[in-house]
Amino acid sequence: MEHSRKIIVMNWLRVIALVSLFLLLIPVAVLLYYGLGPMRSSAGYSITVLHSIELTLFSSALAAMVDVALFTPLAYYLARGRDRFAETLVDIPVSIPHPIVGVALVILDSPRTATGMFLTSLGINFYNTILGLVVALVIISAPIYVKAMQPYFESKDAAPEDFVMGMGASRLRTMLSVVLPNSVPGIESASFIAMSRALSEFGSISIIAYYVLQYPFYGVSPASVTIYALFSGAVPGGLNAAITASAVMILVSLPIALAAHFFRKNR
Amino acid sequence: MIDVDARRKLGQFSLKASLADSGFICLTGGNGSGKSSLMRAVAGLLPLDGGHVRIDGIDITKSPTEARRVVLVTPGSLIPHLNVDDHLTWGSRLKKLRVPSERLSTVKEELGINFAGRVSELSQGMRERLSLATALLSCPKVILIDEAFSNIHDRLDFMAAYRKLVADEGVDIIFSTQDRSDGSRSDHLYVMSDGAAEKIS
Repeated sequence: MEHSRKIIVMNWLRVIALVSLFLLLIPVAVLLYYGLGPMRSSAGYSITVLHSIELTLFSSALAAMVDVALFTPLAYYLARGRDRFAETLVDIPVSIPHPIVGVALVILDSPRTATGMFLTSLGINFYNTILGLVVALVIISAPIYVKAMQPYFESKDAAPEDFVMGMGASRLRTMLSVVLPNSVPGIESASFIAMSRALSEFGSISIIAYYVLQYPFYGVSPASVTIYALFSGAVPGGLNAAITASAVMILVSLPIALAAHFFRKNR
Repeated sequence: MIDVDARRKLGQFSLKASLADSGFICLTGGNGSGKSSLMRAVAGLLPLDGGHVRIDGIDITKSPTEARRVVLVTPGSLIPHLNVDDHLTWGSRLKKLRVPSERLSTVKEELGINFAGRVSELSQGMRERLSLATALLSCPKVILIDEAFSNIHDRLDFMAAYRKLVADEGVDIIFSTQDRSDGSRSDHLYVMSDGAAEKIS
């Protein structure tokens, strides 16, 4: 019966892609399984951990907003300006070990340096403050934001921009009144990508803001720092609590990653 | 009066075109002959290696696009989030000028803009009408039209109406077209090939 035979063609690209994706998701699956299953510990979702997650969500959202406000012009400039040198400089903060960013902020704000004395005289203090935490998160997430926005701007047809510049609009005016109103989906997607990056940060913030000492987070650590403190035994709870807290953190971060994907699909 | 001598090397292609005329100037030539490049040079969107661009005797070779009063209109020349009326007056509002309402209604009527609503929801032909009218109302010296007449229904009537409106304003036009017979509906005809422009009439 020749005609009843099914023709099966393996889509090998799909197989390879899904296997590699599976490999990538192993750590997430391990944490979710053990954290919520056999190794579950109530210390992993104690009030301390929940406050940490609150602080991390709050500071990461704030950092993403600062990214949008301060770095959208840079992304647009890189997309339209063909400034190779500036483009290279944007990558530098990504390529240095993140604890060094934390160290840099400590030095910048140290009472032993001129910059630190100046900042202190203005009432600006980074060490163990929400300000320091957000500044560190902006430094590490802004390059990610710029790298997401730049291709978005590049993919947009330049004809409307050429048109309004011919009518007398400067580049800045063109960006503000023509490009940005038509770039909302791209900005939403890129800001969620930047926020996801900020949520996952550990290196720089473990140095500049191990705790946040001010209102309303008296003594709360960011989530990644709390998880590390549980893991290392600096805070009682132990390995099981660290794993459970990690699983909770994954559950909290997931909607933000999905939001970035959703907005990317819709743009 | 547009007086341009544009020289620019672009990879294998080199633009070496001169044009000096005023009025309604038709530019034709095959794909890749340099029509768009020449217009982008006049608009200041393509920097030149050599030559000059003068509008009414003023040298603007080094001026940025926003200072030239030269508007480039292509089929994509729109501000998508605006509505039709705000779009029409965008250029004049930018220059803090007010378009008299009778002038606005004349232009709308002559150019068949009898529609409203959001620009992003208009058909391609409506968009081309709108962007050409917007360019005209922004008080330019020169309007460069790169294939932006092509989707308009009753194209010849529209071109005749547009030609009359810009002549009244003293605005010079260069428009590119695939249809060489458009030359008979223009003050001057230039044919481009391989980056050079030859004056036919």
